[in-house]
Amino acid sequence: MIHLRIEQWRAWAPGLDTSSAWQTWAQAPHVVPDQQEQPECLSLPPMQRRRLSRLARMTMEVASPLCGEDEQLPFVFASRHGETTRTFALLGDVTDEQPLSPTQFGLSVHNAIAGQWSILRGQRGESVAIAGEADTFEHALVEASTHLAAGAASVLVVIAEEMPPSAYTQWIDDVPFSYALALRLGSAASSESSSTDACWELQLERHDSHGAPCAWPHALDFLRALQTDQTSLEHVWKTRRWKWQRTR
Amino acid sequence: MNMETAVTGHALEQEIAQLIIDTLNLEHLSATDIPIDQPLFGDGLGLDSVDALELALALQKRYAIRIESDVKEARRHFATIASLAAFVEAQRAACAG
Repeated sequence: MIHLRIEQWRAWAPGLDTSSAWQTWAQAPHVVPDQQEQPECLSLPPMQRRRLSRLARMTMEVASPLCGEDEQLPFVFASRHGETTRTFALLGDVTDEQPLSPTQFGLSVHNAIAGQWSILRGQRGESVAIAGEADTFEHALVEASTHLAAGAASVLVVIAEEMPPSAYTQWIDDVPFSYALALRLGSAASSESSSTDACWELQLERHDSHGAPCAWPHALDFLRALQTDQTSLEHVWKTRRWKWQRTR
Repeated sequence: MNMETAVTGHALEQEIAQLIIDTLNLEHLSATDIPIDQPLFGDGLGLDSVDALELALALQKRYAIRIESDVKEARRHFATIASLAAFVEAQRAACAG
């Protein structure tokens, strides 16, 4: 059982970039049109901004406000599909027998965004990039809880997915629109915990029977529950049943 | 240098400036913002080693020239837009010859 305290969160999706927009979305979740919009990240100098992919910009947009200027936070980046746009462009070059762009190649690896976060924000602590299945979100929080258990006061988790190029439509069906969610988590036992912070327990059980997968990406479904009165939710995937319970 | 070459040289410099902007996503700049004798790397424009690789690739594609990976020579050719234009001009002449 994992105990998590949500100190702060930020989320971004096309047209959903304020907490009130997400509050409205949580009341009536729907697929928002994805027209390739991306956060401008104007707080970053142009020379630093220029190499950020759309997925990287989404990550910076949600993570930045949750980390103080002089603060060092362990960082967990999670994405099931990662940089599909860059990868697809590289594969196109391979097919056309064109030389590969060093920038695209270097930044297509899964931990590139965690690396860019570290460079742009001067973060010198632990960072990890993970990819799982449809329950990548829960695995990211298990990862975050290990940092808290090891003594970190807070940890920053970002889960981000970009709508993949249309060539992937047949295989990728769990990204209804591009989104990024950042959670700043603290230990639920911490004496510093503010009474307004939401606290949740996460438990993993074996799942044997066939269950319907969640209608929304787990991160967005959790975000929905976080903003409503819902006190529990279940996310099943293959042999895993993740049980969420709000404790405060 | 007669007037015609001067104009051609200037056009090539502008073209290379634009190529640098497009290739390296310098969306905040226009071709005239980069002085042709400003250092491209380090303290000047602020490009780095990954940019050098990217730029070499773009120049080879655009001008069908070959760029040897001799670091010392490359450093000299890639110093400024003016030196790049002179290099491209010389390579084109060599390839045409």
